[in-house]
Parts: sequence; C-alpha cells; structure tokens
Amino acid sequence: MELLIRNLPFILQGLQMTLTLALATLFCSTIIAFTLGTLATLRFKWLRLVVKIYVELFRDIPLIVNIFLVFFVAPLFGLDLSPFVAATVGLSLWGSANGVEIVRGGFNAVPKHQWQSAAALGLKTWEIYAFVTLPQALKAILPPFVGLLTLLVQATSLGALVGVTEFFKVGQIIVERTTTMEGWNPAFIVYAAVLLVYFVICSCLTWFGRWLERRLKRDQRRPQPGAPAMVEAAPQLP
Amino acid sequence: MEFDFSYLVEKWPALMGGLWLTIQVSLIAIVASIIVGVLGAAARVLSVPVIDKLVIGYVEFIRNTPLLAQLFFIFYGLPGIGIRLSLFWSGVLSLTVWAGAYQIENIRGGLETVGKGLREAAFSLGLTPWRFFRLVAAPLAIRVSLPAMLNTSISLLKNSSYLQAIGLAELTFVALDRVSMDFRTLEMFAALCVIYLVLVLMLSFAANRIEYRLNAPFRM
Repeated sequence: MELLIRNLPFILQGLQMTLTLALATLFCSTIIAFTLGTLATLRFKWLRLVVKIYVELFRDIPLIVNIFLVFFVAPLFGLDLSPFVAATVGLSLWGSANGVEIVRGGFNAVPKHQWQSAAALGLKTWEIYAFVTLPQALKAILPPFVGLLTLLVQATSLGALVGVTEFFKVGQIIVERTTTMEGWNPAFIVYAAVLLVYFVICSCLTWFGRWLERRLKRDQRRPQPGAPAMVEAAPQLP
Repeated sequence: MEFDFSYLVEKWPALMGGLWLTIQVSLIAIVASIIVGVLGAAARVLSVPVIDKLVIGYVEFIRNTPLLAQLFFIFYGLPGIGIRLSLFWSGVLSLTVWAGAYQIENIRGGLETVGKGLREAAFSLGLTPWRFFRLVAAPLAIRVSLPAMLNTSISLLKNSSYLQAIGLAELTFVALDRVSMDFRTLEMFAALCVIYLVLVLMLSFAANRIEYRLNAPFRM
C-alpha cells in the first residue's frame, strides 16, 4: 500500500497517458468509421468491397500484430513514429474496423422510406443525410460506440508492448524497480491494483453505455413510425 | 527493401513451430473455456444461491479488465502467493479465464431462450429432467448460442498472441524474434498476417457451415 502511495504521481501520469491514448484512438476511429461506414451505404459495389476488405483485414488480424505492424513497418517507409503515434494508429485501425460495422448497422436500421419521403419533399442529398438519416442513425450508433470505447480503454494496455508509458506499463515499471532496488517482488499487489483500476474505469463506461441504451430505447417505445431499431452492440473482441 | 521470398521459405519451419504452439494453447483453452462457460451458465440459469452472484461478479470483472493485465497478474503475480505455473499453463489459464467469462454469457443467452412453458410441457408428458435437457433444451439452446461461442473461440485464437508478452514462443513471438534478429520486417509481418488471416477465415468459414446446418430445420 505504502508502495502505491509513494508512486502516486507516476501512477497518475500513466493513467493520464492511458486516457489520452484512448481518446486519441476514439477520435481517429470515429472519423474513419463514419467515413467508411457512410461510403459503404452508398450504391457503388466496388466501394463496398473495399470497405469490406478493410474491415475483415483489421478485425481478423490480432490487435497485437496490428500495433507491431505499424510500429515496425512504418519506419521502412521512412516514417519514424513515436510509440504513442504507432499505438494510436494501430489501435485506430482495429477500432475503426469495428466502428464501420456499427455505423453501417446504424444507417441500415433507418428505414428506406425516410430517405424516400425526404427526397420527395425536395431535399438535397447532403441535406437528407445530415438532417434526416444521420440523426436517426446516431441513436442506434451511440450505445455500441460507448461499448467500443470500453474495449479501447482495455486495448490501450497493449501500448505498453511498444513502449508507451501508460497505466499498465507504469505498473510493470514499479514492479521491476521495486524488485531490483528493494529486493522484494510486489507483482501480486501491483497487478491486482492495476486490474482493479481498469475494472473501475471500464465498469463506469459499461454502465454509462447501458444507461444510454435504455434511455434511447425509452424514447423509442412511444409510437414513432419508422424509428430505427437498435443495432446489437457486438464489436469483435480485442 | 526488397521482398525476399526465399528468406521466408528458409524460416518457415520456425514459424510453423510457433503456429503449432499457438494452436495447442488455443485448442486447450477453447475446450476449457467452454467447460467453464457451461458450468457458469448452469449456475446462473438454475440460480444456485451465492454461486450465481459470484459468477456475475466474475463475468463483469473479466469483461472490464484488459487481458494483458490478467495475464501478467497470473504469470507474475500469482507466484507471490505461492502459485507457480509454467509459461504454457499460465497462458492457457489466462485465456481460459478470459474466454470463460464470455462463454458463460453466450451459453446463458442460449439456455434462456428455452422457455418455461416447454419445460412444463415436457414434464407433463412424463420426461425426466435429464431427458428434457438432452432432448429439448440442449438442442434448442445450442442452435442459439453456438455462433456466439464460435466467435469467442475465434477471438481466443487471435488473443493467444498476447502470450508473446510473457515470452511464450507462439507464432507472434517467433515472428517478432526473427524481426529483431534478421530485420526482414516486411517478410515476417506479411507471413504473420497471412497465417492469422488464413486461420481466422478458415475457422469462421467452418463456423458459418455449422450454423447453416444447425438452422436447416428452419429453412424453407
């Protein structure tokens, strides 16, 4: 216990890094997911195929390999990425692949006649997209995205493998330091504490996601012709 | 930076060795996690006092913590209280504990689709509980939960790559090790990606087939 208090500033630094990494990844994933997810709902067949290949590729390769791939292969092309950037890119590739599926599901959940009636009223394509289908799709998209964020927070621990000093890495460093400098091994207590902190953060996010889902569903229970059905929150596990 | 195919041919045996270990670990953990799943789901569906609460806590805890931290806790932490496991078995244990939590939810979801009415109907026809389970509940439940179970198993296979972090010489470890020795980064990563893709695609193809066959009675 005393060990943890002594290292508190270091631990907080790691925690901050974890959250930064998670938010940076979420930001990139969201942008890519919405871009590709929207493209995939368009009528071009080859475009859909490209998006499908992207999704399958980055979902089927283990996340660890994704991160190492970015970390080791980018320098070959003259890009020297810092561990933080490499981890962000690697995680984003995986997160966006899962995000695309969520976004696509969200748009598919909006009934076709919404688009048709908006078009009949004379709205332009982008207006239909921005004011009619997107707001309805968002309702179906938000809860699974919170779920994705939970998984991303967990996945940031993989940043430690390429040398990002985030929360998990901080735990690792404390264990090593204490073992070599003080001659006893605090691995049990440190890793238990690490697990507990992740548990608290992710549980809060999970609860928030469930609450959001219930709330959005509650609005929907009122008779609302053509309201989108919820998409199943099922991103492939990290 | 040319792609040297002969290098890959040369190092193929090493990669295959890693692959073999990956498959071994994954298979044992998949079977074990399904056993965990069945037991946990049974405890929850039958609402065994105390144990069902413990199962809920276990599932929530595992689902909200990173596998990497769980792995380090098992491999580096447990020796602190006198439990010492080999590399291989800590890997198997952590993957089992991780996937078991997901399998419990998968199997429970399937079992809960079997309604109470069916049970009452079966009992009134004179079926024993065991025969009810074997002839009515299990076939219905499996059809519902098998796709999710297979999905979790595929994730487990991918996540066996976490074990490279503790130094188990599975596929990812072997490849990264080679990269740090020979610097043939592109070749190794290409091989690594292709092997994982083939493994996962093969498994998901098999999963689709199984799902298709199980749904045969419901197809028009």
